[in-house]
Amino acid sequence: MQYKIATLALGTALALAAATGARADTAHPNDIRIGGYFVHFDTSASDITGPYTVPGLNTSVNNTTTLYLGYVRTLSSHFAVEFAFGWPPLTHAVGKGPAAVGSVPYNGVTIANIRWLSPTALLEYNFFAPDSRWRPFVGVGVNYTYFYDRQVTAAGAAVSGGPTSISLPASVGPAVTAGFKYRLNTRWHIVASYSVAQVNSRLTTDTAGVLRSSSVHFWPNAVVVSVGYSF
Amino acid sequence: MLKKTRGLVCAGLTVLALAGCGNNSKTATVATSTQAGTLAVDPPLRVASLTASAFAAQLGASPTGQQLLQLAGTPACGVDFYYMKYWTTAPDGKPTEVSGAMMVPTGSGAQCSGARPIVLYAHGTTSVSTYNIADITDSTNAANSESAMIAAVFAAQGYIVVAPNFEGYDISNLGYHPYVDAAVNADDMMDALTAARTALPHSFTPGTTDSGQLYVTGYSEGGYVAMATVKAMQAAGDTVTASAPASGPYALEAFGDAIFFGQVDIGSTIFSPLVTTSYQNAYGNVYKATSDIYTSTYASGIDTLLPSPDSLTQLFQSGKLPEAALFDSTTPVTGNTQLDQLLAVPTSPPYSASQAALFDAGFGTPSLVNNTYRAEYAADALTNPDQAEMTLLNGGTLTSSDVALAAQPAVGLREDFKLNDMRNGGWSPKEPMLMCGGDQDPTVFFQVNTGVMAAEWSPLVSAGLVQVLDLNGTPGGAFAPLQSAFQSTYAALVAAQGPSTAIQSYHATEAPFCMVAARDFFAQVP
Repeated sequence: MQYKIATLALGTALALAAATGARADTAHPNDIRIGGYFVHFDTSASDITGPYTVPGLNTSVNNTTTLYLGYVRTLSSHFAVEFAFGWPPLTHAVGKGPAAVGSVPYNGVTIANIRWLSPTALLEYNFFAPDSRWRPFVGVGVNYTYFYDRQVTAAGAAVSGGPTSISLPASVGPAVTAGFKYRLNTRWHIVASYSVAQVNSRLTTDTAGVLRSSSVHFWPNAVVVSVGYSF
Repeated sequence: MLKKTRGLVCAGLTVLALAGCGNNSKTATVATSTQAGTLAVDPPLRVASLTASAFAAQLGASPTGQQLLQLAGTPACGVDFYYMKYWTTAPDGKPTEVSGAMMVPTGSGAQCSGARPIVLYAHGTTSVSTYNIADITDSTNAANSESAMIAAVFAAQGYIVVAPNFEGYDISNLGYHPYVDAAVNADDMMDALTAARTALPHSFTPGTTDSGQLYVTGYSEGGYVAMATVKAMQAAGDTVTASAPASGPYALEAFGDAIFFGQVDIGSTIFSPLVTTSYQNAYGNVYKATSDIYTSTYASGIDTLLPSPDSLTQLFQSGKLPEAALFDSTTPVTGNTQLDQLLAVPTSPPYSASQAALFDAGFGTPSLVNNTYRAEYAADALTNPDQAEMTLLNGGTLTSSDVALAAQPAVGLREDFKLNDMRNGGWSPKEPMLMCGGDQDPTVFFQVNTGVMAAEWSPLVSAGLVQVLDLNGTPGGAFAPLQSAFQSTYAALVAAQGPSTAIQSYHATEAPFCMVAARDFFAQVP
């Protein structure tokens, strides 16, 4: 559902960009950027439910920092499309709930480590003129997140009751961004931005055939600082 | 569509050596074999892990828990509760999946880790199909108090406990429970033990191992199953260090005859459908139609009624099962004076007032069992008598020479009782056995069961290999404190509820005392 809305938004925006008839800056239409992603995960999950499960078991995800790689293609004097890629960070899912389940520690304990492959495509509108020193921008787009290297920790296995596998289907969701570009010269610039994406999935754990699940919603709030080169 | 995309991305990234997409933690292995004794899921699920103090705190939170804590002692070890799924053999010979509990002691105490003895425990009669002795966390489960009892008495004191739920319960899809079917129940116990021995090295505490000491015990139906298990394990040449069957219906033929003669026990209306369904499935000789045995009020569906997800209260309220009326209060008139007298509603004399009152509660209208069948069974019990029951009826003393089984029972149910009677086969325990019970037990009569087995094995009793503990006897010997404790606990119950209400809980009240006696007994047999 969100996939369709996001694509529709992107498609409409692209059409609008073409319709303005603005001339693209063809001199150096490609930007490659490298920098840092500083991500805070706002997590909202339902309590974990299933057989042999006490109520009140929830999770949060720790902040993470990773490498940012981006490619931006200028479409016109104002519009651009960005493909943002964070080097897949290893995120830590932490128990949120009672101090212990029976006598097994839960609250604040890292129960799983999961890697995120989470590229985002954004259509951005850049204010002011192409040769301005400062160019604020806003953007809207689509995030795709694929969860892999899904490993329950020893503490997670202890609280689950045995070796556990995790399923966390991929997510497609909207993303928004706002930031500014500081032009150093014709080739180099610095970019800082703040992005939020919506990542939804269903967490299901399998311990000795016992399935437990929770619906999870993350809002990765990312501050990105990067340096870019145009060509 | 998304799945395909993910696959492509994964493949692409793997090529770029950016990410390995398949390094995910795994769950337990499901066994492909269905051979009896196979652990179906390895390692089994640990349902709960409690330290000694956490377990003590949990028990201390309720009045019954506090009583158990006092009797069993403060937990010396923590307990890890595991839920095992394993394979056993159904009465038709096919593999069937069942479940049970494995409780492993934990903690730093000397008795809590390393090589530990195993207690193989058989649970008592339950009518509830969702019974699961592994789920200590579910206070609404019918097994919860029994689970707490064996955890507190045994696991928290350093014994590894293995306790099957039995065929017909929890995940078992058998559709009925092979009640007091000696061979099937013993196999279930032995298969649970095999599965637990497979599970133990894969537990959260692999340093806790099987010392090789094996103690077999159980209560009520479980006492019967425990004895049947000892018999089967001895026959198979398996090690049994010692056993403590408690309050079980060991002498099934004598006990059945006593009931049909009018000495109706508490719980008879639950035991009857369980027994007839079990034996009808095993031998096909109990009835041609359920109406052969049961009255028209109850016959329809009685063979699929138990075990039930519904509680007993719900079953009684829905009119599917009478609470106590086993036999019609208008008793059969056959023309045989002796038989008619035996079939009459019990009076005092010849019984004591309290005995007569107890038995009379088993008569009413409508009744569960019809008069035609009752007369037929009782007639056979007179014509082809169980010698032990005749000895008791005539007020004689049970000795090893007057407790024989009937030579040739002619009623299907009696034949099946004889087959599964623990006197069958002329066997006797080779290792120490303690038979605990209470002589006023109104649910599983003491004299006709424990008394008969003790008489059957009187040379062993004299030699001290088999011991009898009557919790209601004059306190004496090693178990005197337990006897006194039981008697004062029961007296308090009588004072609080009155004798006719208290008697309903006599059988259940005995249980933890017999289990602590078992533990004390096992400690003496290394």
